[in-house]
Amino acid sequence: MDSALSQAEPPVVASALARRFGKVAALAGIDLSVATGERLGLVGPDGAGKSTLLQSLAALLDPSAGRCRVLGFDTVREAAQIQARIGYMAQGFTLYERLSVDENLAFSAGVRGVTGDTYRERRAALLAMAGLMPFTERRERELSGGMRKKLALCTNLIHRPPLLLLDEPGLGVDPLSRRELWQMLDDLRAQDVTVVLATSYMDEAERCDRVAFLDRGRLLALDTPAALRARAAGTTFAVTRAADAPPLPAALPGVRSIKHLPDRLRVQLDSGRNGAEAQRLLAPLGTVQAVEADLEDVFTLLAPPGEDAATAARPAHPIAAGPGGGGISTQELTRRYGAFSAVDAVSLDIPPGEIFGLLGANGAGKTTLIKLLCGLERPSAGSARVAGIAVDGARGALHRAVGYMSQRFSLYPDLSVAENLRFFASAQGLAGRRARAAIAAAAAESGLDAGDPRMAGALSGALRQRLALACAVLHRPRVLFLDEPTSGVDPLSRHRFWALIRNLAAAGMTVVVTTHYLEEAAFCQRLGLMQRGRLIASGTLAALRTQAELAADAGVEAIFLAHLGRAA
Amino acid sequence: MNARRIAAMLGKESREILRDPITLGVALAMPLIMLLLFGYAISLDVREAPLGVLDLDRSPLSRQLVRQFTDTEYFALAETYTDLGGVEEALRRGSVKLALVIPRGLARERQRREAPQMQILLDGTYSATANLLGGYARAIVAAADPAPPAIEVRTRVWYNPSLRSINDVVPGLFGVILMAFPPLLTALAIVREKESGSIQQVFVSPLSGPEFLIGKLLPYGLIAFLQIAMVMAVGFLWFQVPMAGSLSLLLAAGGVYVLCTVGLGLLVSTLTGSQLIAMLLALIITLMPSFLFSGFLFPIFTMPYALQLYTAIFPARYFIDLSRGVVLKGAALGDLWLNLLLLIAYTAAVFALAVWRFRKKVA
Amino acid sequence: MAVRLAGLLAKEMIQFFRDRVMLVLILWLYTVEVVICTVALSFAVHDLPLALVDLDHSPASRALATAFAAGDAFRVTARPARETDATAALQAGAARAALIIPEHFTRRLARGEPAEVQLLVDGSNSTVAAQARAYALEIVEDHARDQAYRLGGPAARPPLGVALRSWYNPAADLERFTVLSMIALAALMVGVIHPAASIVREREIGTLEQLRVTPIGTAELFIAKTLPTLLMGLLAVFPSLLIARLFDVPLAGSLGLFLAYTAVFLGSAIGLGVLVAAIARTLQQALLLAFFGLFPLMFLSGTLAPVESMPAFLQRASVLSPLRHYMDVILGIFLKGAGLAELWPQGLALLAIGTALYAAAWAVFRREFG
Repeated sequence: MDSALSQAEPPVVASALARRFGKVAALAGIDLSVATGERLGLVGPDGAGKSTLLQSLAALLDPSAGRCRVLGFDTVREAAQIQARIGYMAQGFTLYERLSVDENLAFSAGVRGVTGDTYRERRAALLAMAGLMPFTERRERELSGGMRKKLALCTNLIHRPPLLLLDEPGLGVDPLSRRELWQMLDDLRAQDVTVVLATSYMDEAERCDRVAFLDRGRLLALDTPAALRARAAGTTFAVTRAADAPPLPAALPGVRSIKHLPDRLRVQLDSGRNGAEAQRLLAPLGTVQAVEADLEDVFTLLAPPGEDAATAARPAHPIAAGPGGGGISTQELTRRYGAFSAVDAVSLDIPPGEIFGLLGANGAGKTTLIKLLCGLERPSAGSARVAGIAVDGARGALHRAVGYMSQRFSLYPDLSVAENLRFFASAQGLAGRRARAAIAAAAAESGLDAGDPRMAGALSGALRQRLALACAVLHRPRVLFLDEPTSGVDPLSRHRFWALIRNLAAAGMTVVVTTHYLEEAAFCQRLGLMQRGRLIASGTLAALRTQAELAADAGVEAIFLAHLGRAA
Repeated sequence: MNARRIAAMLGKESREILRDPITLGVALAMPLIMLLLFGYAISLDVREAPLGVLDLDRSPLSRQLVRQFTDTEYFALAETYTDLGGVEEALRRGSVKLALVIPRGLARERQRREAPQMQILLDGTYSATANLLGGYARAIVAAADPAPPAIEVRTRVWYNPSLRSINDVVPGLFGVILMAFPPLLTALAIVREKESGSIQQVFVSPLSGPEFLIGKLLPYGLIAFLQIAMVMAVGFLWFQVPMAGSLSLLLAAGGVYVLCTVGLGLLVSTLTGSQLIAMLLALIITLMPSFLFSGFLFPIFTMPYALQLYTAIFPARYFIDLSRGVVLKGAALGDLWLNLLLLIAYTAAVFALAVWRFRKKVA
Repeated sequence: MAVRLAGLLAKEMIQFFRDRVMLVLILWLYTVEVVICTVALSFAVHDLPLALVDLDHSPASRALATAFAAGDAFRVTARPARETDATAALQAGAARAALIIPEHFTRRLARGEPAEVQLLVDGSNSTVAAQARAYALEIVEDHARDQAYRLGGPAARPPLGVALRSWYNPAADLERFTVLSMIALAALMVGVIHPAASIVREREIGTLEQLRVTPIGTAELFIAKTLPTLLMGLLAVFPSLLIARLFDVPLAGSLGLFLAYTAVFLGSAIGLGVLVAAIARTLQQALLLAFFGLFPLMFLSGTLAPVESMPAFLQRASVLSPLRHYMDVILGIFLKGAGLAELWPQGLALLAIGTALYAAAWAVFRREFG
């Protein structure tokens, strides 16, 4: 297709690539080569430079040092040649909300000179592949998150690009839509399309030919998933704890990380520890069993301990239960918009101190349910009590009892960390010594520096997420609602975040959380599955597995799909 | 340049505009509202201004003077006073705009062929009004005392003999309206894409900078042309503004000017990534100058020299000169080539700057 | 309540002062733009370019020409020898008026016949043309009287003297008016645009929703969204006051009263801003709507054209423009030293408009947040 691309030259070659923003080095000394037809995954903590690398490859950013050749063209001198050929999907949505599915696709084809029969054929094929055929007239803003992503991918495939750059394609997309998205990517393999994608989903990284691990602008590892997993082999163990086991010590030498699953601990040791040493270290904790390492373990191993660490304090005082208890109970709770029921007769009971996970596709009603329970939306029918307070009653009491963290980590980007905390403290009516104490406690529990002078808009996603959490728990709510709190955050930070949630729940806070990372479902005590506004199943993971008549080793995804299938 | 790509850009842009009723509504309703306000509100005459009278002379002459004031349509007798304190209070309260103070003995002094003095007190706060009323008052007093005409002035007002202000407001408004909206609309449309990030999709495509800018320019240019057409239609048909020159010359110059104003919008959009700042910038570099420093309302020759140079930075004055020349004076290209040349040069410079500033880069 | 409000206010203040570019632009509107306009704009025509054609070449004709050159109104830019040159200058726009003194001017004067001169005025700016005509007539008339009185002709009767005194603004120049009206305009623009933009922006980034899940009530949120603009509007007045000083505009009345009225005025502007924010879905729409609302208010205020010269229906409509009342207030306080005794009707009107807008904004706000 491209005469300039010689047989010998790979589609992507970066040599000593560096990029600075002011004093910050976003990329430093990157050497990278991607072969034709290869699928390369970029992983790494927030601020590692994944987006900067992709933008450099897309010729959207000029390097500060080094150079980059894409499809045989130089990204500085021949940017137009590159941009005319490749496909690029930025993080977040980049389509036009006032245009329909068809119009967005036609625009993309038009600017790329795809017309006539070629366009009609490709349009039909792409829309069929994305399952968007029935919605061609629908405006972009009326699509669900998953459909938007699929449409964005279609607009980038209309000109059959030899190279596709994708920045977090699965961000905010439900598991089902993500499967469809990946089906589309798999279909591209036959066409020898080279794909470079950034992701925070380890299952997506697993599906790449090679994975590049970035941290603070440097390339720490570049290898096949299997080879990377081998690096962490022998470092991971499952520890089953007896019911009466003593509490975990605050720090264990040689232990890299501990993940708390409802029925066991998953412990990772620093590399280089052998099996016998592991037994000696872990035996006092419970029954030890070696398990296979996955990419997430590699991630944990490679990422240097973060600035924050799991040093977050546990709440010093238990959360007061209050007169009505701290749980949630709803009866036939319904919210209709016209003829459409966003939440349809949901009845559920969540006891105080429980972590309750809500799963479901984009548009299944999870967010609306949370908004109903926070008093942000009025129920059309049914009733609900949160911490003993009716949600359709007086707002004041309800809002003192609940904390809410929205999907978008809504903070003031032009206020510093400290100013955001101070503001939200005063918004809760806290002043003087009480405010200082609350800020100190919330910051400690979230692993934040309460005096951080940086603007919230300049923080990495993981830090913004923790700041949003701190702001939501300043007033020690009895019930905490987290709407996709871990969206777009790297695995390590997600685990640290879950440690915070667990601490809060242990102190008596009820936590309702939605997520698209199915592995996180395992951290919840109970789960609720939603589909088209209805709660189609709820219970522990084990109970859901039994209900779906699945084998004991069935994963979350299988359980999720089985229930959705049964309900449909 | 690729026509097909530009067409795709145009199609997308037009659909987005058509589906935003508020923006479209403001863009089309606003020029008409401006025209109607200007058409009806700006007139030379102050009518029935409240007049206060303090007549201490109470002579036939003083009564005749007062009658001469009230007989005109300019003044209406609102209050009479018995002492100067009443006059002062009325002026401070603002209940009269002008007070006639006729001193005791005016008629007697006149009989004795001394130089009699009367006083007219004006509320100078609204100085434009004060100036107008002062002029009327002088003329009335002069008329009350006719001297045999020694020198007769035969005045002829050219181009607008009836001195109807709408006749020069309409061609002036072409320049103002095209500077008020197209730059703002264009700048906001692009900066909005920057804020939402959808501009990155455009960056990573074969669409070149100039093609993108043309795709933005044409729809907003078309809206601008619609605006000017509406203003012309209402001006010529409803307000009966006469057209002395050639419509095609006016339209051609208007075309250049539209390019120029939309180009300014494009330029503003390359300077900032925030809509609020784009709006404030547009306010400061396009709207206010076109209103105030274009000769539209305030003549440029009365400004200090340094500020006359300042007005030369903004293109509105060249176009307003031109459109008034064509509409009122019937001027032809031969008279106006310099203005047209300046406009073309200005437009070319604006586009060169915009294209130079517009980079397909995120940072 | 007090804590929450204080927190909200502190937050708004920090945000306001952090956006440097916006601050500079707003400050520009309040200061530089005020200065430029004040120096540049004048309704009173002076230095009008005049082409003078003297075909008589006599002492009398030269005396008349001198009379034209002596005043402020005209500046003789050309003295062409032929009438056609003068008309060409008019057509080209090089001259805005032409005075033609014909041959035999002196002879006719001497014979006691009315001597005729011709004045051509460019009517392409009718305001300017009308003033030019009036000035020219005045100059000629004064000149003729002067000559007649000096020569002591048969009709030599002393003219009726008129002392025209413009109070509060002795020179009746536009400077004082412009300074004050530009300050009022800046207050109006910032008062409408800032709250509209800040509310729509919070809605776009989602923090508005976050605020709703706190004990902050509708009333507090409403106050928090309006009070900072009010405070900032009041603060921003001070640099302008310095500029007013610079232009020798006295503050004849009370500063406190001025600030109180300014607060009421800003209240109505903010009410409009909040209304705009309630209608608009995007920042783009909010900004355009704000613009849409600002223009008629500005127009009907008397800042651009005297309200007295408008047709009756517009004069009645102008009562609805808060800027119009505020102009009365600001001119009254600064130039006349007026107090509450004179300005209470404007106060009532401002309060009524402000209350209506505030109430409408409140109703919309409540429906959205309540």
